[in-house]
Amino acid sequence: MRLPDTLSLLYSTLTSFAVAFTVSVTPPAGADEIPAAEAALQQEARTTFKEQVTPFVKKYCTRCHGSRPEAGINLDSALKDPGTTSAFQHFQKAVANVKVHDMPPQDAEQIPSQEERDQFVQAISKLKYMAPRDPGPFVMRRLNKVEYANTLHALYGVDRSVTESLPEEVGGEGYLNSISPLQSELYLEIANKVVQQVVSKDCNRPTRRQLQLFGSSPTRCDDPRHMARETARSLAREAYRRPATEAELDVLVDVFDLGTENQLDYTQAISLMWKAILVSPQFLFITPAAQPETQDSIIPLDDYQLASRLSYLLWSAPPDTQLAALADQGQLHHPEVLNAQIQRLLDDDRSRALYDGFGKQWLGVGGLDSQLFDPEIFPQMSPQLRAAMVAEPRLFFQSVVRDNESIFALLDSNYTFVNQPLAELYGLDHCIQGLQMRRVTLRNPNRGGILSMPATLASTSFSTRTSPVKRGVWVLEQILGERVPPPPPDVPELEEQEQASREGLTLRQLTALHQSEETCANCHRILDPIGFGMENFDAIGRWREQDELGVAIDSAGQLPTGEEFSSPAELKRVLAGRREDVARNLTTRLLAWAIGRQLEGYDEVIVDQLMLKIAADDYRVRTMIAEVISSYLFTHRRVKS
Amino acid sequence: MTVPSAFDRRTLLKGAGVSLALPFLESRRAIAGLMPQKPPVRMGFMYMPHGVIMDQFWPTSPETFLDSPPPAIESLRPVLNQCLMMKGISGVPISPFNGAPHALELSTWLTATLPDADTRSRINIAISADQIMANYVGAETLLPSLELATMPQTWKENQEGLHEAYYSHCSYRSPTQPVPAETDPRNVLNRLFGRQENVGTVTRTNPLDRQMLDRVLNGARDLRRTLGRTDQLKLDEYLDSVRAVERRIAAIEQRQQEAAFEKAGVRTANSGNSPAIEIRIPEGEKRSEYMQVMCDLTVLAFQTDTTRVSTYIGSTPNGVSYPELGFTNQHHSQTHHENREEMVSKVAAITKFNIDQFAYMVNKMASLQEGDGTLLDNCIMVWGSGLEDGNRHTRANLPFIVAGGGGGSLNTGRFLPDVSGNQGDLLTTLLSCAGVPQDRPIGIATKEISEIKA
Repeated sequence: MRLPDTLSLLYSTLTSFAVAFTVSVTPPAGADEIPAAEAALQQEARTTFKEQVTPFVKKYCTRCHGSRPEAGINLDSALKDPGTTSAFQHFQKAVANVKVHDMPPQDAEQIPSQEERDQFVQAISKLKYMAPRDPGPFVMRRLNKVEYANTLHALYGVDRSVTESLPEEVGGEGYLNSISPLQSELYLEIANKVVQQVVSKDCNRPTRRQLQLFGSSPTRCDDPRHMARETARSLAREAYRRPATEAELDVLVDVFDLGTENQLDYTQAISLMWKAILVSPQFLFITPAAQPETQDSIIPLDDYQLASRLSYLLWSAPPDTQLAALADQGQLHHPEVLNAQIQRLLDDDRSRALYDGFGKQWLGVGGLDSQLFDPEIFPQMSPQLRAAMVAEPRLFFQSVVRDNESIFALLDSNYTFVNQPLAELYGLDHCIQGLQMRRVTLRNPNRGGILSMPATLASTSFSTRTSPVKRGVWVLEQILGERVPPPPPDVPELEEQEQASREGLTLRQLTALHQSEETCANCHRILDPIGFGMENFDAIGRWREQDELGVAIDSAGQLPTGEEFSSPAELKRVLAGRREDVARNLTTRLLAWAIGRQLEGYDEVIVDQLMLKIAADDYRVRTMIAEVISSYLFTHRRVKS
Repeated sequence: MTVPSAFDRRTLLKGAGVSLALPFLESRRAIAGLMPQKPPVRMGFMYMPHGVIMDQFWPTSPETFLDSPPPAIESLRPVLNQCLMMKGISGVPISPFNGAPHALELSTWLTATLPDADTRSRINIAISADQIMANYVGAETLLPSLELATMPQTWKENQEGLHEAYYSHCSYRSPTQPVPAETDPRNVLNRLFGRQENVGTVTRTNPLDRQMLDRVLNGARDLRRTLGRTDQLKLDEYLDSVRAVERRIAAIEQRQQEAAFEKAGVRTANSGNSPAIEIRIPEGEKRSEYMQVMCDLTVLAFQTDTTRVSTYIGSTPNGVSYPELGFTNQHHSQTHHENREEMVSKVAAITKFNIDQFAYMVNKMASLQEGDGTLLDNCIMVWGSGLEDGNRHTRANLPFIVAGGGGGSLNTGRFLPDVSGNQGDLLTTLLSCAGVPQDRPIGIATKEISEIKA
């Protein structure tokens, strides 16, 4: 709505008065404003902290973890400034150790009761409310190798292999958002190749793509510089994923001039200008459209950035015409428009990128392509079988997302995707022939879902045998989202015992050795029993009743919280009782992937809010994805510290 | 569609530089009309994770070092009098990151510095020794430095909340800028010596590219003014890397000009006495062949003075196996051997395998004439690991082998059983031997280890 000028002036004066007035009694208004409910929680957290955390830490911890911090954990400074990121990290580590009775050490003067431990753990979970409301820094991000290849393909139709000389990289949390001379050099080389492939050498016979990108050549009456500028405008709109400013166009026309001054013909000079676009930071990075005129330190993303962030998350590709148009119209940030676009992108085949990027990394199956299996023990591990094992979780994940099933369908489901080699591994005696993957219904309750899928079972195994420890860590961390403290320093991991050297011991007995050493026992008491409950699956995910030595598998297992199980079917049943943890973990991981950093402090408050909404829609997976994308963390950025 | 590539998988290339005749060094001096002068010192690093089997690695005594070297370094026997081993080089203490021995063994190797604890989830460490040298001598050569690795640097494992890239990177251009490594030998070859002339291809030395980049840089500076503080810092990395490309194009143009001189007959008598180096791009998955071609490329790059600094991550601290040695177990799992014989022997075999590849490179350097001596005489080649004993993650005596005369700066052919210093001291000393002035010691260094100097 547009107000008449005088009125609008009056209106803004009034509001600024109002703001100035409220500032004196409440926190600043605007984007930084803290909702009342959060403010109340913050107050409560302060009280809890003072009454419960501080006395506990002073009594049991600071003797060692004080100003001369043992193991680098300084709880003295964390007590002083509990809202900071480093305090948050220190307390997280403390909680992990206090929970498993690793701390305080057993020879400490005072040992807290179980009740005190529980209270401490509970109180620390409120720490997040003390962190300032903040979406975190959103540093402009360089396209990763996959995104860069997809972008060149989507915009110019060139084959993705044109980028193969770039170093491999990983996306999401842990992404290296840096650029080196090597990469810059390769970007230039690749830009040269793209030009070569698209632009015809014969100036009389331009390629179709070339005409589409460059338009026609100027005739005698046209002004070539003007035409070059308009070409630059349209090329840059796509390549920069936002309209170029006039100043940016000046730079590009300057490059065009450089070409013509050096006797390049029109097409060659345009090509040089296009190359300049392809090595510009505006193409290689997702850059904001313009720095807004605001004093706020936290602002919403502009629609162009939002469109890019969205399409690179779900497609690993640049915004398509529809997204670009919505950004141009300034419509995308409206919740209903954004949600409709999320659904549209998820419906599209390109959303496979969400599994190839996020899903694979979450499940920890990214290394399966090249993981070694001892050919003497697992002769059936053929390239065909391996390819099917790699494809299965992807098809399954995509299917759950496509049909908008619940998050828990990922854990337990009555169908999967197999071909002949994989069906044989499953022991399905249907007449499944050929290498084509197809959907099949599973009747065995021990199968179905990612916990009993060959890809994940194999990825958590050694080349010769299973690893109950790795499977235990996998369930705890990847599925339940718990933090497993790392092994203490200078204690060797008891990873792979040679059967020969400890003749006659079953794997369970061998692994039980962990628990005989005190330093290892605290954690392994928790890890090992989970993995043992999955021992009926061998190192490539086949069902078995006996181990390598011919001894019957003892698959009694237990979760740290005490629930017992002795088969994958029962494990799934037990995990169904941990729905909130499972859903929260997946949401947290997707959010961290989406914003490209670890979550901390205030982020947890946002996750709390998301979980309420996700639970209200029966934990549907698309709701989860949409909530992550619509969240404050994904849609805002801090522009000043 | 295929990407035009001069080097197909099975191609065998002799002397690879082809139009850029070997050895470059002499020809350039001839052009400058200078009397032959001291060849420059080159420095190369090669890494293996997880430590060694100590009684197979450490020499028994200084006296027996030359005559009966320890089994692990047997393959260095031909050049032992140009090798130097020293015990007593300690690693950076890794507290407060005690749970991250493997993330730190590699990232501290050339920095001698711990990641900043408060910003551990981002990369924030220190410039590494190889990059310090590249900053000083890099302008003299086509490439400031060469970074190579056998495996892609994509391993993701979060230990102690540290950024995942600490696991797979050892070269840092600045505290926040890790340098990625090349893993494809064909790309390395292209980068070192350019593609062979293909009719109709636009090569990277397109004459207008440099001026075009110059304008792009100007535009980027305009953009910079409109950005917030953190985005500006990110853009500075971009500006820095593009400037490096501009310099590189300038160097290529310069070299092409010199090659033209050379074709016109300006050559010195010294050139051509050494055999050409064959570069064979391996076809299979054999790790030894793969590592050897990377070693060959390093030798070639040094011999032709295409770069003076090279860092080769021969292996990273994760899921690496050596099926070539007859077993499929992963390196890491075997290093926690608890002195069980079979596992110990597997670790010993893996260590020897890695040192063999280093020896392959160093022996080749010793066979190449340069000036009055050999290429190796003018190199400082360092092999090492970031742990001493992988079984217990100790770092009291980091395993290092230094090979080469460093242009006469190193006193080699010796085993020093009891030097007292840390990895920063050693790196500082080696840079000083290479003639690199340093305005501050590297990481935790407090001194130079003068015993190793000539």
